[in-house]
Amino acid sequence: MIEARQVTLQYQDDTLALQDVNLSIKPGDLVYITGPSGSGKTSLLKLFMGIEYPTSGILTVMGQTVKKGETAGIRRLRRSIGPVFQEFKLIKGRTVMENVMTGMRFLGMRKKDIREAAAYALDRVGLGHKKTSLVENLSWGEAQRVAIARAVARKPSIILADEPTGNLDHDNAVNIMEILKSFRDSNTAVIITTHATHLIGQEADAMYIRIDNGHLTINRRA
Amino acid sequence: MKSFFRNFGYYLSETWKIIRLNLASNIVSVLGTALILFLFGLVMAGSGIGSRLVAMLNEEAEISAYFDEEVTVKEAQALVDYTEKLDGVRSARLVSEEEARDRMKEILGEEASILELFEDNPFEAYMEIRIYMDSMEAVMKRVQDLEGISYVRDNREVLDQVERLTGALRIMGLLMTLAVGFTTFIIISHMIRQGIYNNREQINTLRLLGAPNGFIGIPYVIAGLLLTIVGGALASLGISVLIVKAYSGMQGTLPFIPLPPRTELTGYINLLIISVSFLLGFFGSLFGLSSIRNDGSGR
Repeated sequence: MIEARQVTLQYQDDTLALQDVNLSIKPGDLVYITGPSGSGKTSLLKLFMGIEYPTSGILTVMGQTVKKGETAGIRRLRRSIGPVFQEFKLIKGRTVMENVMTGMRFLGMRKKDIREAAAYALDRVGLGHKKTSLVENLSWGEAQRVAIARAVARKPSIILADEPTGNLDHDNAVNIMEILKSFRDSNTAVIITTHATHLIGQEADAMYIRIDNGHLTINRRA
Repeated sequence: MKSFFRNFGYYLSETWKIIRLNLASNIVSVLGTALILFLFGLVMAGSGIGSRLVAMLNEEAEISAYFDEEVTVKEAQALVDYTEKLDGVRSARLVSEEEARDRMKEILGEEASILELFEDNPFEAYMEIRIYMDSMEAVMKRVQDLEGISYVRDNREVLDQVERLTGALRIMGLLMTLAVGFTTFIIISHMIRQGIYNNREQINTLRLLGAPNGFIGIPYVIAGLLLTIVGGALASLGISVLIVKAYSGMQGTLPFIPLPPRTELTGYINLLIISVSFLLGFFGSLFGLSSIRNDGSGR
């Protein structure tokens, strides 16, 4: 599903964000990525989404090589990823339902299926009663849950959540982590980055990645 | 195509949101486009009327050929028959001495009594040849060289002036078309770029979710088309009102100008304006869309 071989990411200002990344993530994996702010967690997710390209090494996600010039392939790849962004990236002026549906409109799904999938996802994150609310009227925690609903309603192969608990109080943060983990199944890998190590679960089969100054330490418990 | 129709409702709703987001600026753009297209319609209407006038004058283009004194009526008729078959000749006919005198009487009107002073008819018979404008030189030379023809008279000066006027109208129409095309194109593409800039966060999110450029761009193309067509419709309305007023005014004061039928002219101008606004809206929007980055990064 995700294969990285000696991947390095260096930004144009010479910042070395990631060094010598070697990892393999399989369908159904639950992956926690931890590390202090600025350690390279978000950069790693950006590589997985094709927002950044490796400076060296080989990275393939869902069979798609992530490199410059693969625009069409990377667009297709993104359609099989459910991203939950740090800053949510919800579309203002639209309702909760419209935001969730927008992520599916270009996947070739029927209107009825889109509506049903969006409603189901919103119910799963506990926002079934907020379908018609405008996203700018939601609390931080609710907006985070809409972002999760948008990501999972697409039935993606990979859910990528970047600091999903940032700015949330403890109870809300725990709740968000539980919701995200609940979408893991045999076909869907869930990858979560966080600097709040106390929120990480102790699942026996999870993969734990610690990043420090761009260096990865991988610990697979199973 | 299936996906286009499936998402048509979404595209329309997004189009309305794009237009509404910058409503005042878009209304000004529509009015600007309408004004430009109105001026375009005005020039094209003038050009249409001018072309019709020129076409009519071209149809009237004729030369007169006078016979040698010794040519009999029979020989004159033979020359007419021969001339009628020449390339570039629409028709040729013999104008008798009597008919020539009657025509002059008609032209002189009340002054025609002056002709009574002549004991004999002072007019000669001649050949009246209606020609195609572009064959004038060749026909004149051929007729001049015919045995029995004394000299040929043309109304080239008038025809040359008409030709120059037609040419000027055509060039003006062309320049106006280019000016309208360029200005409307710039207005529309700028309007679309503005819309894209205002919605840059939304566009970025859609790209991160893997939306194809077509899905992102269609509402902008529809918005550009819609605004230009509304501008075109306003211009058409203005032109139609103006033509109605101009016709009723001109028919009273300048009855000799051969105006084309009003409905025909209005229909032609309206169709032209709407087609031009459609094309300009479509291509202007596409050009404006090129400002969406296409590196796939979504950054």
